Amino acid sequence: MTKQRAPVESSKRYELVAAALRANISSGLLQPGFVLLEGPIAGLMKTSRAPVQAALRILEDEDLIHRFEGRGYLVGRLGSRVTPIRREISELGLRIPNEIDTALQNRGLWERVYEEVESAVSASLIFGDFRIIEGELGDYYGVSRTVVRDVLGRLHERGLIEKTQSSHWVAGALTAQSVRERFQVRQLLEPEALRTVGDRIQFDQLARAMAKFRADENIADAQAEWVQLDQALMEHAIFLAPNTHLVELIRQNQLPLAAASRALTKLGLPEDTVAANEYLVLFELVLDRAISAAATYWSDHLANVMQKNLARLKLVAVISDPPLGVPYLTIRDTE
Amino acid sequence: MARNARTATGVGRKRTLRVLGTAISLLEAVRVRASKDLGFDIEFEVLDFPSCQRKAALDPDSYDVYDQCFHNLGIVWHWGALQPIDTTRIHCWDQVGPLTKLGGVDKYANRGVGDVPKNKLYVQPDHSLGPNQTRYISMLPTVHNFDSFGYDVRLFGDGMPPRESWAMLFDQRVKGRLAFVDDPAIGLFDIALAAESLGVLSFVDICNMSPLELDALFAFLRRKLDEGFFFRCWSTAQEAADLFKRGEAGIQSMWSPAYAMLGRAAEHVREAEPAEGYRGWHGGLSIARHVDGDVLQMAYEYMDWWLSGWAGAAMARQGYYISASTPVTEHLTPSEWAYWYDGREATEDLVGVDGSTVVVSKGARRSGGSYLERARRIALWNTVMDEHNYATRAWSRFVAAVNLRAQ
Repeated sequence: MTKQRAPVESSKRYELVAAALRANISSGLLQPGFVLLEGPIAGLMKTSRAPVQAALRILEDEDLIHRFEGRGYLVGRLGSRVTPIRREISELGLRIPNEIDTALQNRGLWERVYEEVESAVSASLIFGDFRIIEGELGDYYGVSRTVVRDVLGRLHERGLIEKTQSSHWVAGALTAQSVRERFQVRQLLEPEALRTVGDRIQFDQLARAMAKFRADENIADAQAEWVQLDQALMEHAIFLAPNTHLVELIRQNQLPLAAASRALTKLGLPEDTVAANEYLVLFELVLDRAISAAATYWSDHLANVMQKNLARLKLVAVISDPPLGVPYLTIRDTE
Repeated sequence: MARNARTATGVGRKRTLRVLGTAISLLEAVRVRASKDLGFDIEFEVLDFPSCQRKAALDPDSYDVYDQCFHNLGIVWHWGALQPIDTTRIHCWDQVGPLTKLGGVDKYANRGVGDVPKNKLYVQPDHSLGPNQTRYISMLPTVHNFDSFGYDVRLFGDGMPPRESWAMLFDQRVKGRLAFVDDPAIGLFDIALAAESLGVLSFVDICNMSPLELDALFAFLRRKLDEGFFFRCWSTAQEAADLFKRGEAGIQSMWSPAYAMLGRAAEHVREAEPAEGYRGWHGGLSIARHVDGDVLQMAYEYMDWWLSGWAGAAMARQGYYISASTPVTEHLTPSEWAYWYDGREATEDLVGVDGSTVVVSKGARRSGGSYLERARRIALWNTVMDEHNYATRAWSRFVAAVNLRAQ
């Protein structure tokens, strides 16, 4: 029989954060008017900002907190006249119930397993179709079925694995077609997102990223620089588009491409060394407030990058199938 | 490293040009003659197609000149391993024919699909490769040919079939005796042409198949394997010739030099002229990115030498054509030229590259006719398609399954 799942352990991270905040609101430690900010809460709960964002939205729906003119949320229902209280949340001595704390710690384990599995799966995609054996995965990392399911569920959400009709988890081969289609989606969405970000673009952050790159120009490790520039572009511009659904689509679409790219680099394939310069041109256009030109440039850049990615994928054909080194991935001969 | 050691010796230093390529053109006779004519040492590194392409892309400092095919060029170019060739420095450039420069030997010639050399020849202003003519090229076109398959005419009754087609590969009369070349950029297209000619499968673009189309192709091949059609796969022209000589293969992919190695089997093996057309391929020479100064000058001299006649004649004796054919006339006898290029009957026995082995008997006529006639009927080119990685892995598994049964 399946072991019973502890209710808290099976919860999603944002639910855990919401539960912790809710408990402290009802106990009065978080008093009406207290300003809740994502960053400090994330720091306190040892999590990223995304689950905190989601947790705050839940509490807002529950009418426990509300937005106000400033940054963040105020504790208390909308319409309650309170004066904003700005204090460090870490100084309040919030009580985080034990089971929630444990679950958050488990989440840490969960994330480490996730990273390893994602890396192994991404590396396998290049070599064909693979089946993931759940039992083997659990044994290999010494984790519960719940953790295995969460890990596989997340991989599924990120578009890296699928479930077959016979309920087997499979990692489908990375094909040129999927690379091309994902880049076409990028070309449709990202320039459009950039056009709509407007004043939300964090110009100072982009300028800083550019200056940092220029200062580091002579370092030997210049190859991965484009990755940092790309992150800066996404975090400080494109992901700030007002349409959050659009941003989510862009994020999701990039995940398998990024995972594949990391896997190819791990195999020893050279990185694109000229890409960094193209980012600099783009940043300069953005900093000159030539947003429309920047969007067009970004579209052209993505078309080039797609071609390079396709060429890079062809090159992988000369690498023979390596031993994957993990027992839970087995090749699936579809013929 | 080696280069530094050489230049450090100063005056009287040894000048060496390092050429990376395949067995198609890197013959010892060519190396010796080129070195003698040009006055510097030449080193050949001969690898199979995929290894050669990989090394060219990932280790450009290890060679000066890359001698490969246009279908093995795109990947290497994309990785920035090569430099543009200035056509104004190639004295023989005007002699290069229209097949690569314009895309076809004449206006009405079939262009073929896939890695058409013209589409990769010219360096465009944005450094990509394209068909629009510019002063700079990625690869100097050299040897090429239009391949088909060979078959044992005795298996098809008296004389040749009224219409030769790639579909013959899956004819019941040759069941169990089908062999093919194991390179995925070559053999896969022989088989795909056969499947499409049979009417079993239809590809939107046979040279750029989708994963679904590839899955369908391999499902078809597995069925044919189960039905017992395949004999085995081969990697070299010599292996292909041996399969015919031992009477094991009844029909198979063939490369031109293999016909000269058949011995007595040549009497009943015929090179087909498939109605659908040939599978073309085109070789050429590129220069590594790092090459400059004296070595760059040597690279240009070496490239010019390739088009100046002697090498073209050596290639002709293996059945290959050269892009600049006019200078070749001075190095071939009239009867050699008549047979190899004009498709006319051999008026005497013709010898091969070694100058002594008879490779064509008096009275023989080249299948498919003259250069122009053959070059007008290109169905497709050897191609490294977008799904090359996906295709290669499925292909390797299939080749292994075929050879396993052959044991």
